Amino acid sequence: MQPDPSRERPDHNIAMWGAPGSGKTTLLAALFIALTKRDDDWKIIGSDPASSDYLIEKTNALLRGKLFPEASMALERYHWTLIGPAVRKPGFWGRKAKPGPPARIGIGMIDAPGGLFGTGRRPAGGPSAPDGSGDPRRQELLDNLEQSRGIVFLYDPIREFTFGDAFDHMHAPLTRLAERMLAAGEFADGKLPHHIAVCVTKFDDPRVLETAERRRLLSVDIDDPYRLPRVTSEDARELFHELCQVSASGNADMVLKSLDQFFHPDRIRFFATSSIGFYVDRRTKRFDWDDFQNMVPGEADEDSRIRGRLHPINVVEPMLWLGQRLAAIRPATGVS
Amino acid sequence: MPEPDRDLNRKAIAQALADLADTDRLTLVEVAADGVVTFLLHRDDNGRPHGRSWSATWPDLAGERGWDARTREAVLRTARASSSSADVILVAASSADPRAEQALAWLRAAHPAAQVLRTEAPIAALIREVIADDPLTRSYELVVVLADSAAGRPRLTSRQLFPLGSRPGARTRVALRCEAAGAHGTAFAVVTWQGPKPRLLSVQSAPVAPGRYEVTAELVRPGRVRFTGLPALSPDPRDWDQLVAALPDRPAGGAGPTHLVCAVEVCGADDQVAERLSRARQMISSASGGLGDLLRVSLLAYAAHSYDLSAPEFPVRVAAWETGAGEALNALGALEEQGAVARGYPYHPHAAQLEDMLAVVVERLGRADPTPAVILTVGGRPPHPARTDQSRILPCPHRHDWRKLITALGQRQSTVLGAICDQPADQAHQAWHRIGAAALAHLEAVDVRGLAADLGLVAPSPVHFPFPLLDETE
Repeated sequence: MQPDPSRERPDHNIAMWGAPGSGKTTLLAALFIALTKRDDDWKIIGSDPASSDYLIEKTNALLRGKLFPEASMALERYHWTLIGPAVRKPGFWGRKAKPGPPARIGIGMIDAPGGLFGTGRRPAGGPSAPDGSGDPRRQELLDNLEQSRGIVFLYDPIREFTFGDAFDHMHAPLTRLAERMLAAGEFADGKLPHHIAVCVTKFDDPRVLETAERRRLLSVDIDDPYRLPRVTSEDARELFHELCQVSASGNADMVLKSLDQFFHPDRIRFFATSSIGFYVDRRTKRFDWDDFQNMVPGEADEDSRIRGRLHPINVVEPMLWLGQRLAAIRPATGVS
Repeated sequence: MPEPDRDLNRKAIAQALADLADTDRLTLVEVAADGVVTFLLHRDDNGRPHGRSWSATWPDLAGERGWDARTREAVLRTARASSSSADVILVAASSADPRAEQALAWLRAAHPAAQVLRTEAPIAALIREVIADDPLTRSYELVVVLADSAAGRPRLTSRQLFPLGSRPGARTRVALRCEAAGAHGTAFAVVTWQGPKPRLLSVQSAPVAPGRYEVTAELVRPGRVRFTGLPALSPDPRDWDQLVAALPDRPAGGAGPTHLVCAVEVCGADDQVAERLSRARQMISSASGGLGDLLRVSLLAYAAHSYDLSAPEFPVRVAAWETGAGEALNALGALEEQGAVARGYPYHPHAAQLEDMLAVVVERLGRADPTPAVILTVGGRPPHPARTDQSRILPCPHRHDWRKLITALGQRQSTVLGAICDQPADQAHQAWHRIGAAALAHLEAVDVRGLAADLGLVAPSPVHFPFPLLDETE
């Protein structure tokens, strides 16, 4: 009898981190959809009933109601397991390979009110504090970051253009995390031991796409039937850098510098992501440069709505990259 | 009982008066039983005959010294006739008085070519009759205003009442239109023409309510015209220059035939849609008041684009096209009954089919039609861009480009763009500043008459016309 993979301890843990409203919840819901659309066997399963319910609710909202998931207003903690295809162990002495247990990557998200670590410049439902000490909610976020070796960091360039608070939300927890890791003797090479996937969100926004186009960072996957534009991970750092130039506070470049200070270059990777993707006309089935927005703004008292089908971009890739890199460092069952 | 001498005398005097040139004088010297009476007749600038007289009795002429050479001089001096005998008529009353015979002899000697008339009665009454019955030597014309649509401003002209040769008692009818005329009322000025300039003959005025009038003019006597079909007229204290100065430099209504195209956004909150339609109604009514039958009205309604194929959108509706104001207002009433359309998803909440509406207007107006057009848009949402841009407003499904369409309208002859926007000008989307390039008003604070004036649909302020207007429907 095979054990329930979702109940088993994950091989690796990934923490999702980002300013309030940066799209963590939407990314999770889009991850489920993006995995379902793939031909491989990756899937995401809740590690507990609350996390499963949360995932089901947000995914359904995205799919059927076409409502954007609301930003969380209370501290919530969720865990899911990303389960991959079983890895075949090589047989010895000519024996037939045996299927091994599937890859498992734990994903933790502390879905917290805004201002948890911010300066309170734009609180989103909870009190703010000048630093990260004392508050148990902050401790929990730090615990999650400390226990994970992979981080998905969401950077919302539109929010940064409007509020310019990305560095505020990053600085304090990063400093506290470094403090903990140093105390634990895990600051060996002068860097945090974590791998970090920096996701530049809202790639579907015209301002972001046009920035990428202006810098000639766009490419199209020849296998993509919709011909959706993408930015490769190699070019995503430049896009990130370019978008930092229009920060409302002017502090966005400090986000990039902090990433370089605290994370080893080999352990950072940038992704231009979009949870909803671009609009593709059902009749033409092709990306149209004249009409690609996939979001219809709502009335004053309504949330925005998704216009057409979802085409998540670079939603699965950060998770799998982290899984691969973590597996390479501390192989357990392997990640394919 | 006919008096042959009197009739002959009348004809003789009338003929002499008729032959009287503007600068000449006609002198009639009556030698009566009690002395000499001189009548001097002339025509004024309007050709109207005037006469005056003076007299001297025999005692005045002879004094206490009796008849002598100085008496002859006194008689000739009293006559004051010029040396030209052609303009002198001597009238001898039947009298056996030798003084009269002597005086007549002296006068005949002094004016040998002068016609001599014999009369039994004093000649004064006959002269008055001849003057009163004098046929017109100049045409009498009524001063009227002509609303010249080509010139764009009113101008003065005259309408003939009585032609040359008309006699008292002549009547003529004329159709006039009176506009608001100010404190002095409408002036009915009769002029004659001598060269390029009119000469004011008479001017009477009365406060006349605006409207059409069938007026009868009667020539009472030379220089006197009576008007009936109007309120009682009284002499107007203004001189010609003052009357002309009172003429406005712009028409009472629009310059001429105008096509008002009203496009109303009918999506959004119910009360706001009702308010927009109400403003459109006011504008059409105001323009109709200024232009009357010269106004043609088109009415379009537009809403929001749908971005869901399963929810067909409300397309731009042409509720009326180039109709009279009444028909357009009826169509507007139907839109008012219908109320707001297409609320909520999947209709775009932040933009409307402005660009589709402009495309319809551009196509329908055509560039060849020379009729001046006023495009009045009433709404609040901006148009959709032709393609995705940083506004984040979804592009028009038909890819209409509102900028190009407005440029096309701007290139059309005599086309004015006005708008009533939900937001004040400083908060309105930049597109509204182009859609309302000539005049942009705020929905909640629009001065409808002022906006109509800015768009050339009505005069900016009440215009007073000192003269009646010639009724162009005649």
